[in-house]
Amino acid sequence: MEPVTTTSYIVLGIALFMLLNSAALAVYAERRVAAFIQNRWGPNRVGPYGLFQPIADVVKLLLKEDVTPARGFKTIHAIAPMIPVFTALMTVAVIPFGDGLYATDINSGVLYILAINSLGVYGITLGGWASNSKYSLLGGLRAAAQMISYELPMGLAVASCILFAGSLSFIDVVNSQEVWWNVIRNPIAAVIFIVTAFAEANRTPFDLPEAEHELVGGYHTEYSSMKFGMFFLAEYMHVVVGSMLITTFFFGGYHLPFAGLWLPEMGVTAKAILDVSVFVLKTVFFAFLFIWVRWTIPRFKYNQVMKLGWKRLLPISIFNFLGLAVIVYFWHHYIA
Amino acid sequence: MDYLHDINAFLPGVIVALAGLVTITIDAYKNDHGSIYGLTVFSLLAGLILSVMDMFGPVGEAFTGMITYGGVSAFGSSVVLFGALFCVLISREYLSAIDHEYGEVYSLLLIATAGMLGLVSANNLIMIFIGIETMSICLYVLAGIIKGQKIGAEASLKYFLLGAFSTGFLLYGMALLYGATGSLYLTEIAEGASSDLLFIAGAALLLVGFFFKVSAVPFHMWTPDVYQGTPTTITAYMATASKSAAFVALLIVLSKMIPAETANWAGVIEVIAILTMVMGNLIAIVQDNIKRMLAYSSIAHAGYLLVGLAAGTPEGYSAVLFYLFAYTIMNIGAFGVVAYYERQQGLDFTDINNYVGLGFKKPLMGVLLSFFLFSLVGIPPFVGFVGKYLIFAAAINAGYIALAVILALASAASVYYYLRPMVYMYFKDPHKDVPLVRSGIVFRSTLVVLAALTLYFGIAFGDLHNLLSSFYTADWVTHLVGQ
Amino acid sequence: MFENYLPIAILAGVAVVLAILLMTLSRVLGPYRPNKTKLDPYESGMDPVGDAANRYSISFYLVAIAFIVFDVEVVFVYPWAVSYLDFGPGTLVSMIIFILELYVGLIYLIKKGALDWDLKKGMFN
Repeated sequence: MEPVTTTSYIVLGIALFMLLNSAALAVYAERRVAAFIQNRWGPNRVGPYGLFQPIADVVKLLLKEDVTPARGFKTIHAIAPMIPVFTALMTVAVIPFGDGLYATDINSGVLYILAINSLGVYGITLGGWASNSKYSLLGGLRAAAQMISYELPMGLAVASCILFAGSLSFIDVVNSQEVWWNVIRNPIAAVIFIVTAFAEANRTPFDLPEAEHELVGGYHTEYSSMKFGMFFLAEYMHVVVGSMLITTFFFGGYHLPFAGLWLPEMGVTAKAILDVSVFVLKTVFFAFLFIWVRWTIPRFKYNQVMKLGWKRLLPISIFNFLGLAVIVYFWHHYIA
Repeated sequence: MDYLHDINAFLPGVIVALAGLVTITIDAYKNDHGSIYGLTVFSLLAGLILSVMDMFGPVGEAFTGMITYGGVSAFGSSVVLFGALFCVLISREYLSAIDHEYGEVYSLLLIATAGMLGLVSANNLIMIFIGIETMSICLYVLAGIIKGQKIGAEASLKYFLLGAFSTGFLLYGMALLYGATGSLYLTEIAEGASSDLLFIAGAALLLVGFFFKVSAVPFHMWTPDVYQGTPTTITAYMATASKSAAFVALLIVLSKMIPAETANWAGVIEVIAILTMVMGNLIAIVQDNIKRMLAYSSIAHAGYLLVGLAAGTPEGYSAVLFYLFAYTIMNIGAFGVVAYYERQQGLDFTDINNYVGLGFKKPLMGVLLSFFLFSLVGIPPFVGFVGKYLIFAAAINAGYIALAVILALASAASVYYYLRPMVYMYFKDPHKDVPLVRSGIVFRSTLVVLAALTLYFGIAFGDLHNLLSSFYTADWVTHLVGQ
Repeated sequence: MFENYLPIAILAGVAVVLAILLMTLSRVLGPYRPNKTKLDPYESGMDPVGDAANRYSISFYLVAIAFIVFDVEVVFVYPWAVSYLDFGPGTLVSMIIFILELYVGLIYLIKKGALDWDLKKGMFN
C-alpha cells in the first residue's frame, strides 16, 4: 500500500467536486439524450443549449416546501435520503483515476466498495417504510428484495476479477489489466456486472421500486423539496459511480487497450493527462449506455426481475467463477 | 495424500452428508420418496458398518486435529447411526400414514446425523459448535414438520428460541475458554487450564449449553413440549440419536478438556444429576400423555447418565457409553410402538387412558411395548438393567454413595409410570372398540429386532462392556488424546 | 497502515456534512405551510384507508433468508480468491465442494418454487 500524500487529498477534493458536478451533468445529459432518442429538443432555454437547466432544477427544489407525512416516522424520513448520497460519495475514495492518481490505496478496496454499495439499500427501504404510505412501502420492499438479489451475482462477478488480480486493492485490479482487459479474459462476468450495476442503481429496466404506472413514485412518493432532490441526485451519482466501477473492474481503468504492449514511456504530467482522459471517456461512455438503455428497453415485470437474478445470473456467475478459478489455477501452476 | 487420510477418517460422516445432499437434489427434481428412502437407509447402514469396524481399529486425529477417530468417537458414531437408521426404518410407514412424508424429512435427518457424527468425533470447540448447530437447526425444522397443527408449530418455535438461546451460552463459554487458554483444541485447553475466574466462567457457560442439549434439569423445559409436538418417530430420533451425540460430546469435553482438579465440575454435575433424576421421575408420574411421559422419562435417563459422568472414573465413562447404547435401543422401540398406536384413527392414542385393552387386540405390539418399558424401568434380563447396574456400580466405586442411593430410589419411583400403560393394556376392559390397522412388515420387524437386541445385550453384555472398558485402559487419558 | 483510511474518514465527514447541509438549506429557503390534507399519505386523491404497515408477501422474507446464505458464500470467496494460488490443490477442491454444496441449496430453492413470484406458481400462492 502506498502512503497517503498531499496529492491524495488534492485528488480526493477534485474527485468529490467532479462527482457532484457529474451528477448534475448526468441529469442534463439524460434529458438531452432522451430528447434525441425521441426526436425532440429537450431542455434548451436556460443558458446555452439549456446547460444551466440542472442549476435551475436544484434552485427550484430548494425553494419548494418540505412536506413530512404526519403519520410517518419523522427522524427516519429525514435520515433516509442522506444515505444514498452518502454511499455514492464514499465510493470515490478508492477508485484510481490515473497512474498514482487516487485518494487512498487500501488493501481491502474491493470489499470496501461492495460494503458501501450494499448500504445504499437502507436509504431506499427506510425511506419507503418511514413514509407510512402504501406505495412507498411497496417500493421500498421491492427495492430491498431486488437490490439484495442482484448483489450476489455482482459480488461473484467481482470475485472472478479478483482471481486475476490476486489482491483486493483497486490499484492491483487495474494494473492486472494493463495488457488484457478483464472484459476479454472474463466476458461473462462483465455482462453480469453491467446488468447488476443497472439493477443496483434502480435504473430501467430495473426501476420497479419507482415504477410510476404501478406505485406512483415508489419509495419517494412522500418526498418533496430537496429530500426528493437528494434521492434524485443520488440516483445519478450512482449512475456515474456504476460507470466508474464497470470501467475499473472490466475495461482496464485508465489503461488504453493492450497499453502494456505498445504505450511508450511518458512524462508524469503527460501520462496523468492521458490516464484521466481515458478514464473519463470510458466513464462517459458507460453513463451514456445507462441513459441509452433507459430510453430503449421497457421495464421488466417483478417476477421477471427476480427470475433473472436468482435463476439465471446467480447460477451463471457461480459457474463462471468456479470455472475461471480452475483455469487460473492450472494456468498458474502448470503453464505459466 | 493427507486429504484422503482425513476423508477416510471421517468416512461415515462424509457418506451421510453426501447422501443428504443427493436426497435434497432428488427431492427437488421429483417427488420420489422411494429412492430417497432407499438411499437414506443405504447410506446410514454403510456408515454404521464403517463406524462399527472403526471401533476395533486404531485411534488418531484427522483434519489437523479437528476430529478424532476410533475409540469413543467410533462408538459414539455407531450409536448415533444406529439410532438414525432404526428411526428412519420406522419413520416411513408412520409418516405416510399421518400424511406428512416429505423427502426433506430424510434429507434433514441425514444432515442432522452428519452434524452429530462431527459432534461425537470433535476434538476442537469450533467442531463441537458446528456439530451442535448442524444437528440442532435440522431438528428445529423437523420438530415443526406437521405444519398445519398448532402443537407442531409450538414445538418448533419453542425449540428454536430456547435452542438459539442456549447456543448463545455455549458460544460465549467457548469464547471465554479461548480467552483464558489461547486455544480451541480440547487437549491444549486442558494444558492451559487454571482456576481463574475466566476459565471457570467459560467452562460453566459451556456446560450450561450442553445441559440444555441433553435436557438436564433446570434446562429441561423445552423437552416435553417439543417431544409432544414432533411426529413420534422423529421424537424417537431426537430422544436417542441427538441426545447420545450431545452426551458423548459432553463426555469428551469433560474427560479431555476440563481437568477435575482445576474446575470442580464433579460437584456441579452431582447436583444437576440429582435434580434431573428427581424432577424427571416425579413429573413423569402425573403425565397422562404417553409422549410427555416418555419425554420426562428421557429427562430422568439424562439424570442417570449424569451420575456416570459425575463419577468421573474410566468405569463411569464406559458405563455411560453402554447406557447410551441401551437407552437408544429401548427408547426407539418404545416410541415406535407408540407411533404405531398413535396413527390409528378413532381415538387419541397419545392419551394413556385410551390404552385400555390394547394388549390383547394386537398381541405382538403389546408384548413389544412391555419389553421396552420393562427395559426402561431396568428389570433384568433386559439391557436397561445392565446399563443401570454399571452406572450404579461406577458411582459406588467412585464413592458417590448418596448419588447411587438416589438413583436406586428414582428408578423405583419410575416403575409406577412405566408400568401404568401396561396395566391399562392388560388389566382393563376397553370402553370403545376401535379397529387397529395392521403394521407393515418393515415396521414390525424393525421393532422385533430392537426387542431382540434389548434381550440380547441384557444377557450377553460382556463383550460390549469389555470393549467399552478397553477404551479406558490404565493410560486412558493419553489413549483418548491419541498421542 | 491506518493512515490510509484517513482520506476515507475525511470523505465520510464531508459526505455527512454535505447531506445535512442540503437538507437544512431546503428547510430554510422553502416555505412551510402544513395542513392536514397536505400531510396525509398520498393515495391517488382518495382519503387514505388504514395504515401502511400491513401484511405483505412471504416471498420477501424468503428472498431475504436466501440472500444471507449466499452472501456468506460470496464473502468467503473473497479472501480465498486472493490467496488460493499459494496453496495446494486441496484448497481449490475445498472451495469447489463448498460452492457446490450451496448450489444444491439453490437448486432446491428454485425447484420448490421458493423464488417464484408468478401468480399460482410459487410456493405460497
